[in-house]
Order: sequence, then C-alpha cells, then structure tokens
Amino acid sequence: MDALNAHLVPAVDGVAYGLLLFVAAAGLTLLFGIGGVLNIAHGTLFALGGYLAASVSDGSWSSAVLGLAVAVAGGTAGGAVLAAGTLPLAGRGHLPQALRTFGLALVGGDILSTVYGGDEHPVKVPGSVNGMVHFFGHVYPTYRLMFIAVAAALAVAGSVVLGRTRAGALLRATADDRAMVGAMGYAPWRVHTALCAAAGALAGLAGGLGAPIIGPGPDTADKVLMLSMVVIVLGRPGSVLGAFLAAIAVGEIETLGVSISSDWAPFLLFGMMAVALAGRTFRSSGVADGVAAAPGEAPA
Amino acid sequence: MFSSHVSGRLRAAVAIGAVTALAAAGCSSDKSSKSGKDSAKGGDSPITIGLITALSGSNKALGPDHLNGFKLYLQTHGNKLGGHTVNLDVGDEADGGAAAVPVANKMLKEDKVLAIAGIVATPTINAVVPLATAAGVPVVNTGGRPTVKDPSHLWTMSFMSTDPGGAMGPYLAQNAGGPVYAFGPDYQGGWDQLRGFTDSFAKAGGTLANDGGKPTFTPFPATTDFTPFLSKVKASGAKAIYSFYTGSSAIAFVKNWSQSDAKDIPLYAAGFITEGGALKAEGQAANGIITSMNYSPDISSAANREFVSAWTQAHDGDQPPATAMYSWDAASVLDQAILKAGPDPTPQKVNDAIKALGQINSPRGTWQLSPDTHVPVQKWYLRKVEMDGTALANVKIGDLATIGS
Repeated sequence: MDALNAHLVPAVDGVAYGLLLFVAAAGLTLLFGIGGVLNIAHGTLFALGGYLAASVSDGSWSSAVLGLAVAVAGGTAGGAVLAAGTLPLAGRGHLPQALRTFGLALVGGDILSTVYGGDEHPVKVPGSVNGMVHFFGHVYPTYRLMFIAVAAALAVAGSVVLGRTRAGALLRATADDRAMVGAMGYAPWRVHTALCAAAGALAGLAGGLGAPIIGPGPDTADKVLMLSMVVIVLGRPGSVLGAFLAAIAVGEIETLGVSISSDWAPFLLFGMMAVALAGRTFRSSGVADGVAAAPGEAPA
Repeated sequence: MFSSHVSGRLRAAVAIGAVTALAAAGCSSDKSSKSGKDSAKGGDSPITIGLITALSGSNKALGPDHLNGFKLYLQTHGNKLGGHTVNLDVGDEADGGAAAVPVANKMLKEDKVLAIAGIVATPTINAVVPLATAAGVPVVNTGGRPTVKDPSHLWTMSFMSTDPGGAMGPYLAQNAGGPVYAFGPDYQGGWDQLRGFTDSFAKAGGTLANDGGKPTFTPFPATTDFTPFLSKVKASGAKAIYSFYTGSSAIAFVKNWSQSDAKDIPLYAAGFITEGGALKAEGQAANGIITSMNYSPDISSAANREFVSAWTQAHDGDQPPATAMYSWDAASVLDQAILKAGPDPTPQKVNDAIKALGQINSPRGTWQLSPDTHVPVQKWYLRKVEMDGTALANVKIGDLATIGS
C-alpha cells in the first residue's frame, strides 16, 4: 500500500506524458505509415504550433482556443510547404525525403529562433486549469489532468475518422495500393498534399496543446522528433492503436519506471526499446521460418 | 566575399591608424616622456578587439547577452578602451569547440586582435585558449570556465563551476533545519556544480536526504518531466531542495516543482535557474525560489546603478542578466589594462597589465583575479525571487561567503 501510494503520482503522470507523446507522434505516424514520407521536420511543426499558441494565448479561455486554432492553421500551412517540397521526390525512397525534410527543419528552426528569440517562450494557461488538484493526499497539476481527457478524446476521434469514414478508408487504401487509388480518380498529388497538411495540422495542434508541458523553445523540435520516432518505431508506423499503446508504455517507463528505479533512469527508455525490437525481430523471423517450412512439410 | 571586403577595410584602418600613431609619436615625443598617461589618451591609434560568442547553435540564447554587455560598455565609454578607438571584431562560436577554431585563427592571424573577449561554452575555451596563448593574446572569458593546463593568457570574469554551490553549502547546512535533497543534470557541468555544493555542505555538517546520501542526477538533456524525481522528495523528510539547472531544464524543473507534492519544501538553487528568459518563462511558479549568485541587479553602488540604468534603457526596462555584467566587466578590465599598457599596447603588454590590475570596481562589487587560476575572488549573494514593481525579479536578501581560489 505504501509502495502504491509513493508511486501513485508518477503512475498518473505516465498516462498524461504518454498521451502527450501519442498526440505528438500522431502526425508523424500518419505521414510515415500511410503517406510513406519520413518527415524529419515533424518536431519543427510541433514547435511552430507551440510558439503560435503561446504567443496568442494570454490566459483567457477564448485566447487559448484561438491560440489552438492558429497553431492548427500554422501546422497545416507548414504541412503544405512539406507537401510541395517532397512531392517531386515521390517514388525515390525515404532517404531523399529525409534529407529534404531535414533541410526544411533546419531552415524552419532558424526562422523560429530568429522570430521568437533563443529563449524558451513563456506559456500562459487559463487560470482555472493553472492550479493543482488534490487526491489521496497528493497534488497534481490540473492542466495535465485536463490534457488526459482531451488527448483521450482525440485518440478516439482519430481512430473513428481513420476506421469509419470515407476519407479514412481512402487513406487506408492509399497505404495499401497507391496506384489503385489513382485509378479510382484521386490524383496522387492531391492525396499527398492532403496527407501532409493533415499531418502538419496534427503536429500544430499537438504543439499548441503540449506547450504548457514541453517547450516551446529552441530544443523542443529535437526532443519531440526523437520521442515521436521512438513511439512510431515501437508502435509500428501507421497503426493508431500501436502508437497509442507504445506512447502510454513510453510515458510510464519515463515516469513510473524512473520513480521505481531512478538509478536506471538514463537507460530505461532505450533499454526497453532495444528489448522490444529484439523481441519483435526474433518473433517475426520465427514466423518467417514457419511459413518457409510449411511447403517443405507438405509432401512428407 | 564579405569577409575579404571587411578585412580590406580593416587593413586600411590599421594602416591609417599606424600612420596617425607614428605622426602623433613624432610630434609629441618630448611630451610623452613627461606623461605617458596623457599621450595614451591623446595618441588614439585604433585597436581591434575580438569578441567570440554564440550567435547560432545550441547556446544562441546566451550569445546576445554577452555581446550586448560588451557593446553597452563601449557605447557608454565613447567606443574607446584605454583611450584607443575600438574596432570590434565579432565571431560566432556556434555550437562551440572546433567550430570556433577558424574564427579564432582569423582574429589572431589576419585581424591581429589585441585581445579576445567573450566565449560562452567551455569546449570553446579548450579549443581557442591554446591558440591564443601560443600567439601571446589574452582571452578575457565571460562564460563557463573549465580547468585548463596553462591559464597564463586566460582571464575569467564569471566564476569556477564549483563556486555557486560552494557559497550556498554552508548557508543551507546552518539554515535548512534538516536534511537537503539535491538535484542536478547528469553531465560534467552538473557534476561540478553539485560537487561544489555537497563538499561545502558536508564540511559544514549538513546531510543529504537523497537515497544513499548522494545527489540525484537526472538524464541530460533528455529529462523533460521531473515529476517522478520530485515525487520522492516529500517522503524523504527533506527540509529543503538544492538544485542546479539552466535553460529549458530549469523551466521544466521549476514548473514541475511548483505543482508537485514537494511544492511546500523551499527550493534553493544556483542563480541561473531564475536568470533572464528562464524567469520570464517560469512566471509565478518561480516566486520564492532562493538562489546564490555573484550578482543581483539591485546591489546598491554607483558602479551598479550606472550599469543597470544603461542596460534597462537599452532593453525595454528589462533587468540585466549576470552574463551581461560579466561581459561589461570584460570590457572594463580591458579598458584599464590597455590604459596601463601604455601608448603602444601589444597583446603581451595587455596580458601583463591584466595580471597587475589588483582590485576591480564592478557592478557586482569589488573583486580581484586569483593569481593562480585567474578566476574572480568575489562575494556571493543570497537572492530571492519576489515581485519587484510589476515583474518578478531576483532580489538580494543577504550576503554569502567571499570565495575563489
């Protein structure tokens, strides 16, 4: 009971942090898993959303909502720039795309630090969620509790759009067979642009929602890109459920894991990632052997 | 293209300066023997001072304060150091270390600088100081200070990494009222800062509340959420927290602390946690934090009032950060040393003059350079974050020890 009590706050915080990672990684996993674009500028779009929301929001609810809208609009515009930059590289593999988006990230990062300065940008959240909530003798930031609810709603909305709507079906079809979708009358460049813009909008929204927790500052883009990469690699690119579970796992490792064994804090995340990847490789090679063995067994 | 244009102009300026100096020397040769000081003021041969700072890269947030502190001194002193008009040669150290080597080489070989000021990152010191020492050019350093093999041409305006904690340790041992929980980032700078604290704290009889009696080092720069680390503090029975964090880590740490179970346990820290932009981003979360620093903008002295009023006028009423004051002092030290070096200052003469400066009157109070390490022997102050007018500020609430080796 004592142990439960001592780790209660980190466990709750793990959910909040994990959901933040899920929201942050959503745009990257959508674009990489379905659009096939490895977007190194993803963290920069997140930072852009954070800066825009933070500079609009002055502590009132209306300005906070306006800030989020501006962040989404900025992210969408950034996504459109990405679409224009990566469209000529379609069909040339991931490396040219990674290089181009890396270049765009460098340029974008420099523009951001020129406009907003090299310091961390102050973030104001509405007064009613700026305080703390008391539970079981502990305190926890109200904003993070609200974030858990908002991010959970976003996760549900995302899986409904992808799984139950016509637009979602089109996206899933694009991931499976791009040529067939083209033959159905959807120009590939339109699908590409729409995907990039949607991924940018998600990144901008995540930046705006996450600004009170991470950044926005000069190193926000790198941090978010790295954590998002971990989430999509663990959760398999393009899978909403996979990204969700991976994000919660990473969140708990970074909070509950650190709380239980803080000596191991520097190694926990990437240690767990190495174990998970090794396990997956072992399992999938086992499956492949099974498939290969099957025809050989048939004559016997 | 641009740089060759500049250096062409520079050569012309140096040539004109040399001719003027020769003419002045010829005219006033009999006078100068009577009064060297007068001729130094009268014979204005322009000098070139190199200023290396971070204008891009990971320390971009710090560079402008270093640059502006130096420039402000020049602006308020007729753009002259030691009576000579200054040609300021600004170079970018970017991410530090090897990136600064070509910048320093150009200053030393082509521009023939009299001295190099600035330098934000400690790896840049390790890369640039050996080059400058070989060329006999003094480096007046305003940023971090690592241990160097040969400090003969290195003069530090800031402090040794162990000093902020060294000043706070004895104070907390006496005043915390119980064990203290210590936090720092897991890299060389964090280890040095925390070692300064734990050594002086233990010597004065203090005990740490951390598991195993050792400070907790958080992964750097990966830690964005300090909540799980802070969740252990209350149960440990700590009466106070001591920490060293800078930049985005400082902001996250302070925000997490202010909304955690540990929020009622007082937070003490090395001064950077609430300097400049960090304090603005932390906002009310930082209210009440107590820090140790070798500077506070509200120090009552003529030298400090001059500096603070010049800075606030030039920066929208913002209070000056300590880094800007180190840079102001770098210009002031060069001003006095160049004057002492006589009418024809050479890098070596300036270096010798810095060594012989003695007491330096500065916005932070009076201090002097240690003859061994060339780091300030100076007083440390206890500051508390409070509302000062309409904005939060670091207000001086007491004096700590005078330290430096």
